[in-house]
Amino acid sequence: MNEPDDALKELLQRAAGGAADRELKRDLWPAMARRLERRPERVPWWDWALAAALLLCLLLFPQTVLAVLYQL
Amino acid sequence: MTSTVEAELEQFTRGDTQAFETLFRQYQGEVYGWIVRIVRDPGAAEDLTLETFWRIYRARARFDPRRPFGAWARRIATNLAVEHLSRRHAEQPLDDNVPRAAAASAAPDPAVGADVRAKVAAALGELPAKLRAAATLALIEETPYADIADALGISISGVKSRVFRAVRRLRRSLEKRGIRP
Repeated sequence: MNEPDDALKELLQRAAGGAADRELKRDLWPAMARRLERRPERVPWWDWALAAALLLCLLLFPQTVLAVLYQL
Repeated sequence: MTSTVEAELEQFTRGDTQAFETLFRQYQGEVYGWIVRIVRDPGAAEDLTLETFWRIYRARARFDPRRPFGAWARRIATNLAVEHLSRRHAEQPLDDNVPRAAAASAAPDPAVGADVRAKVAAALGELPAKLRAAATLALIEETPYADIADALGISISGVKSRVFRAVRRLRRSLEKRGIRP
């Protein structure tokens, strides 16, 4: 790095307060453990069954699409 | 790599929470320390450390236990830190961008006036996230180029190019604000 860049570097370091404090002040495992314990949100099986039944109904009886749309 | 470490990494890839906890406790400080160098905000760095390990946990099946865990973690952490800078760049007004983060992580030199600090912060805040991360690591943190390259997943000449472009933009931006370093 040339001299003018060194001047810029020095300005940046002085303005930013030098290197950041890199020490972690607390154990983050408890927060991580809580996150791991949270169960992933899953779609219940009966919702899938209902969606499949609706799709099947629409395929077999396309005219019911109007009734379905009316209910939405 | 010793067989004990490899065995632990293998357990982790199979979803063993105990092995993950051991790895977490072993590497959390290192990951946090790396992230805070880039974002220079301890609160954000803690959140990003958790997010890094969360992504590591979710991607565990893709990890090869024969490869170094630390380097993998650092790469994920760097991507998240750059994403964070990018989001902040888009969300916050420039003059409000860096001073708060910088103030939270390190005390600025009292000989440098608040006005100059604000202008430097604004100039840094104007940089695109990738250039800013490279410039912060190279110029402020004085991190070796090889380490930056490894973490960013680019070559050393790629890092030099980013730092060069960042310096050019910073210089132009500071000159516009009446500072000629």
